[in-house]
Amino acid sequence: MLLENSIFALLAIFLLIGSITVIWAESIIYSAFGFLTALIAVAGLFALLNNSFLFLAQLMVSVGAVVVLTLIVIMTMNLKDKNMPKEPYKNIWIVFSSLLLIPFAIMLYKGVSKIGNFKEIKENFGDIKSMGEALFNNWILPFEIVSVLLLSALVGAIIIGRKELYR
Amino acid sequence: MSPLEFNILSIALFCIGIVGVISRRNIFVIYMSVELMLNAINLILAAFSKTNGNMNASAIALLMMAVIAAEAGVFLAIIMQLYRNKKSIDSNDHTSLSQKEFS
Repeated sequence: MLLENSIFALLAIFLLIGSITVIWAESIIYSAFGFLTALIAVAGLFALLNNSFLFLAQLMVSVGAVVVLTLIVIMTMNLKDKNMPKEPYKNIWIVFSSLLLIPFAIMLYKGVSKIGNFKEIKENFGDIKSMGEALFNNWILPFEIVSVLLLSALVGAIIIGRKELYR
Repeated sequence: MSPLEFNILSIALFCIGIVGVISRRNIFVIYMSVELMLNAINLILAAFSKTNGNMNASAIALLMMAVIAAEAGVFLAIIMQLYRNKKSIDSNDHTSLSQKEFS
């Protein structure tokens, strides 16, 4: 129990540091590495919740594909300082908007604070077999819709990213 | 470990994402903040799945992961096209769809 709690605290610290780095860092490459840290910490939290298949999917999709794609785009653009936006009041904006968001966070906390404790989980909770049973018994229509969505996103990304769109 | 700690953590992640969207002008930071908000939703869904004891919420989280990947591809294509158009990643420069004249 102590081991689980300490792992949770470590992952929470990594998650918060990474996500604050995303919004606070001056250079975008630091933001991208903070993003990578936050996503790996989310994967670790999935593993801590006994969701081994979600852990694997998060590592493969978010860390392996999304972050690598982001880093490739950032490094391909090769941004210089004159292309970066000038943000002289960045710190004031961040502090002021986080003060504005405190009532919203309190509202969300009131919404989730009555949730009970973890149930006693079954033996095969979170592995690929139970995930497949839930996915193909109850969620088969959203699964098919997501496949159509991925195809349309593929076609849309190719068409948007073409060079001669604006000529 | 209780579900409340996971929920507080994902609420914090969601609020950090909102702060990044509304306070920065860099398009990349806006994109990464949107991704952080989607990951916060995934985390709270996984916590609900363990609270309820069945895998339905985890199935929703898995479907949302596909949505995250699709969103990343389209958003990065849009960012590259915007940068190719105006040579800037400042969100104040891309106002060609607005009807008012910002100068």
